[in-house]
Amino acid sequence: MKAGLRKIPVYTILVVLAFLWLLPIVSTLLVSFKDPQDFVSQKFYQMPTRFFLPQNFTKVMTTYRLGAHFVNSLLYAAAGTAVVIVAASMAGFSIVRLRPKFNFLLFLIIYSGTLFPFQMYLIPVYRLFNTLGLYDTRIGMVLIYSAICVPFSLFVYRGFYTTIPREIEEAAKLDGCGPVRSFLSVFIPQSLPPTAVVALFQATWIWNDLLFGMVLSRTQNVRPIMVAVATMSGYGGGNIPWIMTAVIFTSIPTVLLFVFLRRFFIQGMVMSVSG
Amino acid sequence: MVVLLIVPMMQNVYYSFFDWDGLGTPVFNGLKNYASLFVDRLIAGSMLNTVLWVVFTLAFPAMGGLLVAVFVAGLRGEGTFKSIFFIPLTISFVATGTIWTYMFSRELGVLNGMFKLLGLPVKLSWLTSVPLNTYSMLIAWTWQQLGTNMVMFLMGLGTIPKDPVEACLIDGANKWQTFVHVKFPMLRPITTVVITMAMVNSFKVFDIIYVMTRGGPYQSSETLAVSMFRETFTLFHMGYGAAISVLLSVIVIVISAAYIRRMSKRDMLYY
Repeated sequence: MKAGLRKIPVYTILVVLAFLWLLPIVSTLLVSFKDPQDFVSQKFYQMPTRFFLPQNFTKVMTTYRLGAHFVNSLLYAAAGTAVVIVAASMAGFSIVRLRPKFNFLLFLIIYSGTLFPFQMYLIPVYRLFNTLGLYDTRIGMVLIYSAICVPFSLFVYRGFYTTIPREIEEAAKLDGCGPVRSFLSVFIPQSLPPTAVVALFQATWIWNDLLFGMVLSRTQNVRPIMVAVATMSGYGGGNIPWIMTAVIFTSIPTVLLFVFLRRFFIQGMVMSVSG
Repeated sequence: MVVLLIVPMMQNVYYSFFDWDGLGTPVFNGLKNYASLFVDRLIAGSMLNTVLWVVFTLAFPAMGGLLVAVFVAGLRGEGTFKSIFFIPLTISFVATGTIWTYMFSRELGVLNGMFKLLGLPVKLSWLTSVPLNTYSMLIAWTWQQLGTNMVMFLMGLGTIPKDPVEACLIDGANKWQTFVHVKFPMLRPITTVVITMAMVNSFKVFDIIYVMTRGGPYQSSETLAVSMFRETFTLFHMGYGAAISVLLSVIVIVISAAYIRRMSKRDMLYY
């Protein structure tokens, strides 16, 4: 009992914090239920007079055409992640297996995508895309997103493959497996954890990206979703119930990803910490 | 990969020595871009804001994450609290910025509404008055970032063996002493990562500022990352923008040097 009483201050602090953390979420949900008149005339905590979410949603889809951007981003996230999984798992395998002597370049690659600010290659990529005709194309977006995801994914795969005991590989070799065969039948079947980590982190990252979408695209058919949401709100303006509906709508995919792959989030953290 | 990332980085350094509007021919102007960096009042202002972001990030999301992790660990209801602090992680910076723009809205916002509800006669212009706008955005940032650090520290706390902690308690140390002398030193690897990542990320903040204030009013809430974007893609001072990004990258490399060295040393063992 005494121990229980001593915990009261801790609980109080945590409950207050939890309240502060939930407040924005609850307010956002509540606002998205309101029609614009209710929103202006009511207090923030009042329940709406009628449930207006479907109408808000229709408005968001027709006026702001968020559906089109949603499809764009879905494509980028899926294609980008798929490309990166194939490329990074093979590269990770060859690095672990062949132990090439270009450590410095390797580190440069890894840190270019994980630590360096993206601004460092924004201008040249913008220019390159203009010269190659990749500016404002879907292929261009998939390309740049996969390129930026490679470093982190390579890091994850390489880190994971170094934990696969060499004996297994030697055994495969004795059984007559070449490098390709041993990659396909020894490494790939064990690759679920790093692949899930890569899928979770990189799909989320691509989905959430604002900077590259803003710089490298212009039209509705190409612009990713977050750029659309960001321009919707503008600076201090816009219709808040619609914007909040858009926020909720565009957050659904990443929230779902986290719900299903939560276990791998922790694992990804472990991997990126301990390499 | 190399074409899309490494070569552009080199090119970027190269561009930073030119005066270039993005369309015409770049004109070489040596170190002039870098020289102007040091006399540009806007850059000085955004440098100051950047430092503010870094200090604040270490003080609140990082330290706060540690405190919450320590409080929450082993508590009844640990799972519930963890989930609550975890929610903001699952949404984007753009969504965070948008939500908090509403929270901070002067007339219809939740925070001013709360003040009114509590009978406080204050109505703040959270995002349009200086320097409050930067602090407001830092609140949104803390809301989003605390969860990551909490998860990291919880992970670290989970790996601490029980024996030394128990031995310490038996020797008569109280919980606070145990934490300072036993647990905290054992958390050091995690602490290094959290501190490095917190600093690096706060140097790179862009989305939240762009969504919430566009760096305004009058560039008052810009950080280096936002200034770089404005110079480059609004004013088309490509060379100058490149110089800002080089400056930003150099700072990031310097602060993460210790971390990079440690990581590469350990990586060498594999070879």
